[in-house]
Amino acid sequence: MSAVTATISKGKMDAATGKPAQRDEGARLGFRLTLPAQILVLFISAFPLLMQLYISVTDWSPLSGVGWWNAWEMWNGFANYTDLAADTRFWSALKRTAVVMLVCVPAEFLLGLALATLFADDFPGKRIFYSILLMPMMVVPAVAGYMFFMLFQSGGPVNDILSRIIGAPVTIAWLSDPNLALIAVMIADIWQWTPLMFLVLLAGRVGVPEDQMKAATLLGANAWQRFTTIVLPKMKTIIVIALAIRVIENFKIFDTLYIMTGGGPGVATETISVYIYKVTTQDLIWGYVAAIALAILIVLSIVAVYAMKRMAKTREMTA
Amino acid sequence: MSAIHLKNLVKKFGDFTALKTMDLEIADGEFMALLGPSGCGKSTTMNMIAGMEEPTGGKILFGERDMAGVPMGRRGVGFVFQNYAIFTHMTVRQNLAYGPRMRGAGKAEIDRRVGAIAKMLQLSPLLDRKADRLSVNILQRVAIGRSAIMERAIFLLDEPLSNVDAAFRAVMRTELKQLQRQFKQTMVYVTHDQLEAMTMADRIAVMDHGVLQQVGTPLEVYNNPANVFVARFIGAPGMNLLKGRPAESDRGLVIDLGPLGVTPPLPEQLVPAVRAARGEVLYGFRPEQVTLAARGLSILVSFVERIGARTIVHLGEGESAVKAVFENDVGLSIGETAIVAPPASSVRVFDAASGLALRAGG
Repeated sequence: MSAVTATISKGKMDAATGKPAQRDEGARLGFRLTLPAQILVLFISAFPLLMQLYISVTDWSPLSGVGWWNAWEMWNGFANYTDLAADTRFWSALKRTAVVMLVCVPAEFLLGLALATLFADDFPGKRIFYSILLMPMMVVPAVAGYMFFMLFQSGGPVNDILSRIIGAPVTIAWLSDPNLALIAVMIADIWQWTPLMFLVLLAGRVGVPEDQMKAATLLGANAWQRFTTIVLPKMKTIIVIALAIRVIENFKIFDTLYIMTGGGPGVATETISVYIYKVTTQDLIWGYVAAIALAILIVLSIVAVYAMKRMAKTREMTA
Repeated sequence: MSAIHLKNLVKKFGDFTALKTMDLEIADGEFMALLGPSGCGKSTTMNMIAGMEEPTGGKILFGERDMAGVPMGRRGVGFVFQNYAIFTHMTVRQNLAYGPRMRGAGKAEIDRRVGAIAKMLQLSPLLDRKADRLSVNILQRVAIGRSAIMERAIFLLDEPLSNVDAAFRAVMRTELKQLQRQFKQTMVYVTHDQLEAMTMADRIAVMDHGVLQQVGTPLEVYNNPANVFVARFIGAPGMNLLKGRPAESDRGLVIDLGPLGVTPPLPEQLVPAVRAARGEVLYGFRPEQVTLAARGLSILVSFVERIGARTIVHLGEGESAVKAVFENDVGLSIGETAIVAPPASSVRVFDAASGLALRAGG
């Protein structure tokens, strides 16, 4: 949208400076040609956003008996937002989501980076390992959730393997222990999403010019020095992209987790998405849900904008 | 220590033989050019010296030390890549400082060395520029500086001037030679440009199809090419080679060139070798040494190129094509018949079958 607007105003400027009107005409034609697409974009992004904003300042619920367009009748000002600020369940869900993110994303990143570094060189069986490594990513998250639900049963394979290692029976109640349930959920997330990190980082690692690596070697740099002075700086942009993708995705963690624990025991694994889901389907206060969702959208947008700025900066530096 | 000795060096890539048993001794402090057309095995040879490729057979010795199994980082060679391999995410200063920094040199020492090398290569005003925004000419100097700062005893350069413009190439030829005089490293310089090899090298190793053709000083390979390949490759244009058969005449041994007639008698020192040869020979002489004479080979002028300092006259065509180079200008035009005669001292004869030079005692 804004790009098109920019082109149009630029076209006008050109006309003002006495340049041929061709460009102006081109911009206008471009605007006309993209109009249907712009209307579509308006409907799928701007419209729901405005609707959300509208409902978030009301007490509207699907059971209230009025259509959402008449929600103004139930206007409550910023009550939803002040409620949100005082909602301890919301804040603890947010904190839990942050903990999951701060554990999972770095773990996925480090594992992915290690694997990408390993796969940058040739070794026997590389192709087979490559295919195997990418498999978790292709499992439907709900299926992965059920898989880990089974694995972490107290009589399940995880405990079985642990008891074989220790040599004594292990009966850890993974999914019903408030502390362990979150760990189990994080293990599932790391298992499923390390491959994506690996794939993206491998693309970046392969893009590091081989001759510069050789030059560094000839100048006396050892493997670790090459990694820190050549590989990492060259991969900066792709690392930022990979982290941004995973931070945003991980923040929305839901399906695997919900199937494994349903947010429980109690609220021990209740992340933001699970909380929103529960408020939406159980409490049915949609005005409040809209307010939560909007607040989260703002937080994620800040992350995305920061990542994009960093990317633009590094691209400028390494182009 | 910094002499390089290649012993029966062989390199195969699958079925393809890139280098066939190469023997070469490069003396300590010598400037050796590996010269040849692309695909002749010169870069492969250099990569093996640097340790980037493992030889399929044979040995590489630095001084007395066998380099087999010594990784490239430990060989202590400076290397300038053809495409420079500059670290584009760093500044010029960081590029130059890279080697000393990796070796754990102190900040003061790094600053001093970077300052010195930058001054020598006229990079001082550019030290804080990002390396990705520099012209090829400057990148080239950064590449040399980045290697030179290590003050290694062996310095390998892989076609370092092939991407820079002609004027800068001339400047760099002089600078590289001076750099080598100053630091007295053993330099191995890979190039396909004979002008670079001739002007800079102490000795030239001419290569073709993975085979070392001749090793000698620039004048040796120019004056006394060991075989037909070297004769044609060195010199611009290369040596004239005319097919013929040795024949006895009352004036001495001559070569019967068929339709072109008979050559003047061969110089005494060539006679025994040529007389011993069986079958056809190639009668060779440098275009620059051709003179117009009353008696000699009479050939039709087919084309005249005037390039100011010199005039290149193309004579005859096909098998009997001859080029003659005259200083400034010559009074010949297309369609005329020129009578050319190479001075006896400039005549070289090669065996047509083997391509080898027929020389006194050889």
